[in-house]
Amino acid sequence: MFDAVLIANRGEIARRVIRTLDRLGIGSVAVYTAADRHAPHVREAVCAVQIPSYLDIDAILAACGQWDAQALHPGYGFLSENPALARACAEAGVTFIGPPPEAGELMGDKLRAKEAAARAGLPVVPSFTEAAAREADGRDIYPLLVKAAAGGGGRGMRVVERPEDLDAALTSARREARAGFGDDRVFIERLLPRARHLEVQIIADTHGRVLHLGERECSLQRRHQKVMEESPSPVVSPELRAALGAEAVALSQAAGYVNAGTVEFIADFANPAEHYFLEMNARLQVEHPVTEMVTGLDLVELQLRVAAGEPLPISQDDVALDGHAIEVRVTAEDAARDFLPAAGPVLAYARPAETDVVRVDDAIEPGTTVDTSYDSLLAKVIAHGADRAQALARLERALAGFTVLGVTTTTRYLRGLLADDRVRAGELDTGLIDRRGVPDGPMGDEGVAVSAAMLILAERAAHARDGGDPFDRVDGWRLGGVRVASHWRLSVGGGEPLDVTVAPEYVDMVSPLGGGRFAIEGRGEWLLARDGDVTWIGHGGSAWAVRPAGRAALGDATLADGDVRAPMPGQVLLVHAATGDTVAAGDPLVVLESMKMELVLTAPLDGELTELSVAVGDRVAIDQPLARVRATD
Amino acid sequence: MPILRSHISPGSEEFRANQKANRALVDDLNAQLERVAAGGGERARERHVGRGKLLPRERVDRLLDPGAPFLECSALAAHGLYDDEAPGAGIITGIGRVSGRECVIVANDATVKGGTYYPMTVKKHLRAQEIALHNRLPCIYLVDSGGAFLPRQDEVFPDREHFGRIFFNQATMSAQGIPQIASVMGSCTAGGAYVPAMSDETVIVRDEGTIFLGGPPLVKAATGEEVTAEELGGGELHSRTSGVTDHLASDDAHALEIVRDIVATLAPRAGGRGSYPWERRPTEPPAVDPDQLLGVVSADLRKPYDAREVIARIVDASRWNEFKELYGPTLVTGFAHIHGHPVGILANNGILFSESALKGAHFIELCDQRQIPLVFLQNITGFMVGRDYEAGGIAKHGAKMVTAVSTARVPKLTVILGGSFGAGNYGMCGRAYSPRMLWMWPGARISVMGGEQAATVMTEVGQPEVGAQLREQYERQGHPYYATARLWDDGVIDPRDTRDVLGLALSAAANAPLSDVRYGVFRM
Repeated sequence: MFDAVLIANRGEIARRVIRTLDRLGIGSVAVYTAADRHAPHVREAVCAVQIPSYLDIDAILAACGQWDAQALHPGYGFLSENPALARACAEAGVTFIGPPPEAGELMGDKLRAKEAAARAGLPVVPSFTEAAAREADGRDIYPLLVKAAAGGGGRGMRVVERPEDLDAALTSARREARAGFGDDRVFIERLLPRARHLEVQIIADTHGRVLHLGERECSLQRRHQKVMEESPSPVVSPELRAALGAEAVALSQAAGYVNAGTVEFIADFANPAEHYFLEMNARLQVEHPVTEMVTGLDLVELQLRVAAGEPLPISQDDVALDGHAIEVRVTAEDAARDFLPAAGPVLAYARPAETDVVRVDDAIEPGTTVDTSYDSLLAKVIAHGADRAQALARLERALAGFTVLGVTTTTRYLRGLLADDRVRAGELDTGLIDRRGVPDGPMGDEGVAVSAAMLILAERAAHARDGGDPFDRVDGWRLGGVRVASHWRLSVGGGEPLDVTVAPEYVDMVSPLGGGRFAIEGRGEWLLARDGDVTWIGHGGSAWAVRPAGRAALGDATLADGDVRAPMPGQVLLVHAATGDTVAAGDPLVVLESMKMELVLTAPLDGELTELSVAVGDRVAIDQPLARVRATD
Repeated sequence: MPILRSHISPGSEEFRANQKANRALVDDLNAQLERVAAGGGERARERHVGRGKLLPRERVDRLLDPGAPFLECSALAAHGLYDDEAPGAGIITGIGRVSGRECVIVANDATVKGGTYYPMTVKKHLRAQEIALHNRLPCIYLVDSGGAFLPRQDEVFPDREHFGRIFFNQATMSAQGIPQIASVMGSCTAGGAYVPAMSDETVIVRDEGTIFLGGPPLVKAATGEEVTAEELGGGELHSRTSGVTDHLASDDAHALEIVRDIVATLAPRAGGRGSYPWERRPTEPPAVDPDQLLGVVSADLRKPYDAREVIARIVDASRWNEFKELYGPTLVTGFAHIHGHPVGILANNGILFSESALKGAHFIELCDQRQIPLVFLQNITGFMVGRDYEAGGIAKHGAKMVTAVSTARVPKLTVILGGSFGAGNYGMCGRAYSPRMLWMWPGARISVMGGEQAATVMTEVGQPEVGAQLREQYERQGHPYYATARLWDDGVIDPRDTRDVLGLALSAAANAPLSDVRYGVFRM
């Protein structure tokens, strides 16, 4: 076994790998960029090396050399599936904890992988040439899916409903593929109208043994990003499980695959036995903890053992699925604003206690600054139960104890998702999340605003009691024992201003518990933290940014109408117009890229573009004014 | 520091009798306050609200920081005057915190005769400005007034302390760096137009606020020109054309928000935010229950009680460091804290003798040297009279105390608990000695001498019928409501509010830096 292993990654996966290394007594070497210098993974590793970028292969291998790391764990994302890293490791004499470069390369090319799967006897989705897709006037082959050959994670993927949209989809998929993977090859597939996403975890050693560790269902996805994953699938029968497992093993063996991998299938919603090979991911998946919780195995440990040349310590017969495990991904996104990426400092963070049945793999701690340059995943919360219902219930409770102040997260959205009847019934398909939309949270904004005012008053009241000035009191003191209500105008989560009134006796319902924690009589525990003039409050997994709302100044209303502001932080990808241009409402002005999305900002009205304050490559902050259109009169 | 203990049993018959009598006084006070808070009556309020305007007290509440206290001044001004048609004299004044800054707020109540200025309205407005001047507090005027009350023009217009003084004060305070901010939320006619015009920064509410020297009827009479109020002096005109106002608000709430934003831009108070000219410490509640005050204080002015029973119930942790306890014991002097502010307290425990006057003068000098604000708790029938006392020079000894009171530069606050008669009023920092603020308890009495004494004096000089009349007159004119109606004080307060009122007033007083002391302590 290795003495020291370098983790070429960040965030929760780096911490998760370090945990196993610690348990096995193996030294851990972290790498980090300047922005991550205070990140927990840097501190938790035995030693750490600063590098310019998580994509800088030379710097990463130099770090291996510096601390005698004999092996490298790539995590997921970044370089994990880049064969160049595996090759560079081989040249440097560092063991790459993943598949051999050839197998990785094969699986990284979606086209070749599909051919290999077909050869190995796996059912594959019918595909079409561009010409065939263009010529097909019949609606029978549409909708189609354009996919980047080198793609992954939904990037470079486009759904095409009609032949006339094909060209636009091809162009934009190619551009995204070129930008994302340096490879603009795309291919076209039949799109299953209502499908489940099933996948099989495999682990293979260098001695020819390949095991499958049961399936995961990851049908709940948004923009091809998995949101909730579970094992086993609520609809896979033992027979289908055996069949999927056998197919996954067959492909792995045919490809000469070693280490952990995942074979993904797409399956018919109603009849999952009708399934097709989708792709094989040559890495440890984000959602691997659910497999770990039902199998009792440590996948990272198995990865390390097979990478060290050891035979797998178990056989297929030893693999049994115990109970049910479900994971949700808590991300820094604003569900209320169409899941725009969120950024900000983590002002306060409460997480559920980890137990035998609840696991939290997280990337944050109080003080962490979340920005949009990296993945939006903040934490994975995983719960295990004897059956699916129990796992769901435990996960729901766990999420209620997961609160982040300072950055908008999807926790509240996820709690709503777990409570959805279709989710509870296991009626999952890849379109469910889009169809479902974002229902209102359990508490209206009005209630949030009142709670925020109560907490702010309670905090100030504590200050007034604790040595404050007589004018610091907040009970609405008037002569003759009269106490009057306080008036607030607040905006919750950037929404419309709300006028709320808080009666003085409400303040008495709040007891400060210290450290930004408060108890509201009959309404549990709450968190409060400040970020400038924004007050964050959190309760039961939900968090809200509340700020004092002003009234619009009179007279500048006409100017404000023509403002174009960044709806999210990000980078300017394209600029379509120049100052002085005459534009029509809806004309594209600026294209922003943030995370994995392109957002086109259009002219709000007909007129002249009088200001354009950004250029390609500029980073912009949320609500930053980018352009201004003066209406033609 | 020693802790005061109470020697009064709450179970005693005397305590219960006092409590019953004092509670009746407080209940009546609260009833008066409630009546006054309703302003000009239901119909006027409905009309006011119907125009989309906030009532004046709502304006004050929304202007203040959420939950902030408001130390209202002279709520019962004009009580019993003008056939009681001007509750509160049609104006609300007081000290409150806006955007973290203690400010004096002056709000016209347009439900009371259109917010016009009666004589007492002028006096109350000027008194609020005086409080702002002494304590260096920014002034915020929420203007909604038709100007002078014309039928009484002789009592509001021509004299030094009349209407014109408002603008003189605005100019001179602004010159001293005391900000003047106005929000025009209704009419602002004739002289009233100068309030916004004389302010450093002014807000006006569109379709509601108007500013003009002469309103449409007067213009028509003068020149025949026909013009609407909005055209003549509305928000759009003054914000876009005349520049009389600096900010245009869509409604009352918007205007108040703009005022709050303006206050947020002001320079911090002397020494910076949260600084005090003296050392403050964390507040501690009194160790002896302040709620017992009503039972502790004699309802009968002629029955003496130990002033320490009051002190124990208003100072922090009931801690009390008494000065010269054994000398001149009819004046109790000592150091304590109220809401964390250090104070030197002078309280009467009987009539003032030469010794007590000397002790008082000495103690005032000590506090002045040590930068400790003074609190006077008046319950005084006067200085001792008689041959021996005159021969002992009580006049010149009393004069020492009056001199010390007059010249001490530290803030002085006075509460009249019981009697406030004759020269006792002077030595104990009556209104003429410009305490920063002065309040009366509902059972107090104030007059040049007691009605009984006045009657006796007149009988002695052979005019017994005048004496009988004086007895009745003194009793009536010495009543706290009579006093507060005429702005002889800053309000009648529930004794149980005394501690909070003093704490707020001390915090307000802390806004003004102290000047230098010019003499050492003269031992008496």
